[in-house]
Amino acid sequence: MSELLANLALGFGVAFSPMNLLFCAIGALVGTLIGVLPGIGSVATIAMLLPITFGLPPVGALIMLAGIYYGAQYGGSTTSVLVNIPGEATSVVTAIDGHQMAKQGRAGPALSIAAIGSFFAGCVTTVLIAALGPPLVAVALLFGPAEYFSLMVLGLIFAVVLAKGSVLKALAMILMGLLLSQVGSDLETGAGRMTFDLPELADGIGFANIALGVFGFAEIVRNLELPPGSRDILMQKVTNLMPTRQDLIASAAPIVRGTTIGAIIGILPGAGAVIASFAAYAVEKKFSKSPERFGYGAIEGVAGPEAANNAAAQGAFIPLLTLGIPPNAVMALMVGAMTIHGIVPGPQVMTKQPDLFWGMIASMWIGNLMLVIINLPLVGVWVTLLRVPYRLLFPSIVVFCCIGVYSINNSPSDVLIAALFAVIGYWFAKHDFEPAPMLLGFVLGPLMEENLRRAMLIARGDVTVFATRPISAVLLGTSIVMLILSGLPMLRKRREILVE
Amino acid sequence: MSEGVTSSQGGGPGSGAPAFTNSFRGGVLVAIAALVLFLMTFTIATPTPFRFPTRFVEFLAIVFDPRLLSIVLGAIGVATAFNLIPVRAPQDYYGGLVLVMLAVLALIASADLPGQRGFAFGPGTAPRLFAGVLAFLGAAVTVVGVTTQGPPIEKYKLRGPLWVLVAICLFAAIIRPFGLIVASFLAFMISIQGSTERRWIESTIAAAGMTVFCVLLFVNLLNLPFQLWPQPNAHVVLWQQFVEFFRLIFGPAMKAIGVM
Repeated sequence: MSELLANLALGFGVAFSPMNLLFCAIGALVGTLIGVLPGIGSVATIAMLLPITFGLPPVGALIMLAGIYYGAQYGGSTTSVLVNIPGEATSVVTAIDGHQMAKQGRAGPALSIAAIGSFFAGCVTTVLIAALGPPLVAVALLFGPAEYFSLMVLGLIFAVVLAKGSVLKALAMILMGLLLSQVGSDLETGAGRMTFDLPELADGIGFANIALGVFGFAEIVRNLELPPGSRDILMQKVTNLMPTRQDLIASAAPIVRGTTIGAIIGILPGAGAVIASFAAYAVEKKFSKSPERFGYGAIEGVAGPEAANNAAAQGAFIPLLTLGIPPNAVMALMVGAMTIHGIVPGPQVMTKQPDLFWGMIASMWIGNLMLVIINLPLVGVWVTLLRVPYRLLFPSIVVFCCIGVYSINNSPSDVLIAALFAVIGYWFAKHDFEPAPMLLGFVLGPLMEENLRRAMLIARGDVTVFATRPISAVLLGTSIVMLILSGLPMLRKRREILVE
Repeated sequence: MSEGVTSSQGGGPGSGAPAFTNSFRGGVLVAIAALVLFLMTFTIATPTPFRFPTRFVEFLAIVFDPRLLSIVLGAIGVATAFNLIPVRAPQDYYGGLVLVMLAVLALIASADLPGQRGFAFGPGTAPRLFAGVLAFLGAAVTVVGVTTQGPPIEKYKLRGPLWVLVAICLFAAIIRPFGLIVASFLAFMISIQGSTERRWIESTIAAAGMTVFCVLLFVNLLNLPFQLWPQPNAHVVLWQQFVEFFRLIFGPAMKAIGVM
């Protein structure tokens, strides 16, 4: 206990200085402003803002980076809520209920609860990291490739549970996402896979291209079909900008549950935050007394996942710093930035550079705090953006999305791929397929394949390894149970209530 | 892949009669797509020889052979066109068929990859695995589309989407030769045509404003490497881009026809 306090004291002592606080505030503000632009996700935001930190001293730079990181994530959530364009895989779930809330005039409460939930999760996880950091790494080491594969299968089944429509179609969407993620270069041999000899596809289809195409452009295209006047995003009068007491009470339990889920899942290196947000949504839906509200503006559907993904993102710093495994592109950028500033991820960093390490942990908490301080007043500004008439809003979104996609790799073919996925997304809407499970399958595909291959290699082709290793067996068993519960015809009537 | 306009004749959801859409158009589209896939199977360099299945895996390899599947799809398409199959839920039916076609496309695309050697996964194993499961699920969705009642496919209103897509493609084509300012402005103006309410002066002002904002934000504030104004030989670069694009898209097809 005293060690915990000593570590935290060290961190805060390093991080808490007026200059550092200012850096963090600037980082959070700029991160949110850029992250909120539709079409510019967390990866693009952090990549764009990274050079700003180069001139600063290491601790200051890291603190600004933390501010930018959380700002970018929150900006991505803001776009999810306002215009149904998830900036990152973790914001996909927020878009489901958050945007519906925005349409009902409740964008303010949605955004505020997202900020508050994230802050609570950040506080709890900071203490958790400080207290349990080293032992948790030992637990993470128990997870071999078979366990990771089973965990991801469980995560995909969560995506099925949260789908509004039929289980079968959600499963098909997941498989489509998995298949799309296979395009690119093979992991082990580097051979081009399904690229049709196009050099643009050698690195695979980018997440931003798919997400923007299927969510952003397709949403615009669908909205254009509606008669003018009925497609302004704000259909009803804006009620409070702040959440009501009822909202806060309703969100309290989901935030706590989301934090727990996120902290547990986030410790494991891998797509922790994504799975955590989907899992939190599924759990909230199951725990709710009125699950039919989910998908139509239930605030629990925003509170839980936002808390979960923040907890997981922060928890993911532990294996990131100690094992050096970035779970996604955003974290990879952070690792790069940290390396530039002198923190090299590895087992030594906790012991050899404790002030930098704990300063980083403390800066994450400060980043969370800055986010709440800066963004709660700004909620009014974001909501006013919704008042722009749609005929002027949608071309702006189109231009931003184009620029955003182009800026990732300076490649026009990325924009073309996004256009292709816009067509695909339009087709999905016509045939009642949901894009969210496909995105989850796409994100988890490469990791799943890698772990599957590795597990099979280690087990020498023995498929039963997934059932004989205890943790893996438990995870797979849970997925099968959840799948059966979702799809059993006998319980179909109950499930129809669940999805309606 | 638009399935054509629907006009739902037949009973509504309450009555027992299935709600058919325009099955002829749908079936013909499916058949044409299946034909394209069938022709594509001839571009596979090393088709797997037919072996009588001795193990389950070999049985699967036969069932999930792209050529066989494309023939089956073509037959289904023809059957649908002649109203031999009751399409009760058009969304699911055609949706499932398209998914199966996508899986067949993936099978064709990954046919040249080596598969499993012993217990080590090859590069081709996972794509073929996922494609196989997708084909199975797509078929299941199609079966659901035949057995249970479902809503018809809504009309495709093409005007709005088309303008937006043209704007996006134009942006992609123009951004390199003509720079950010021209590309943003044009993309804004063209995508605004997708909306039925257009006010020219307002649109032009908004387009100009948005362009200025983007330039200030991305180039001045964030120092991103964007080219602002057109290159000196912009039209040459544009033409070169088009040539390369057409070569990429139609090159394999031309080669295949030349081979055949």
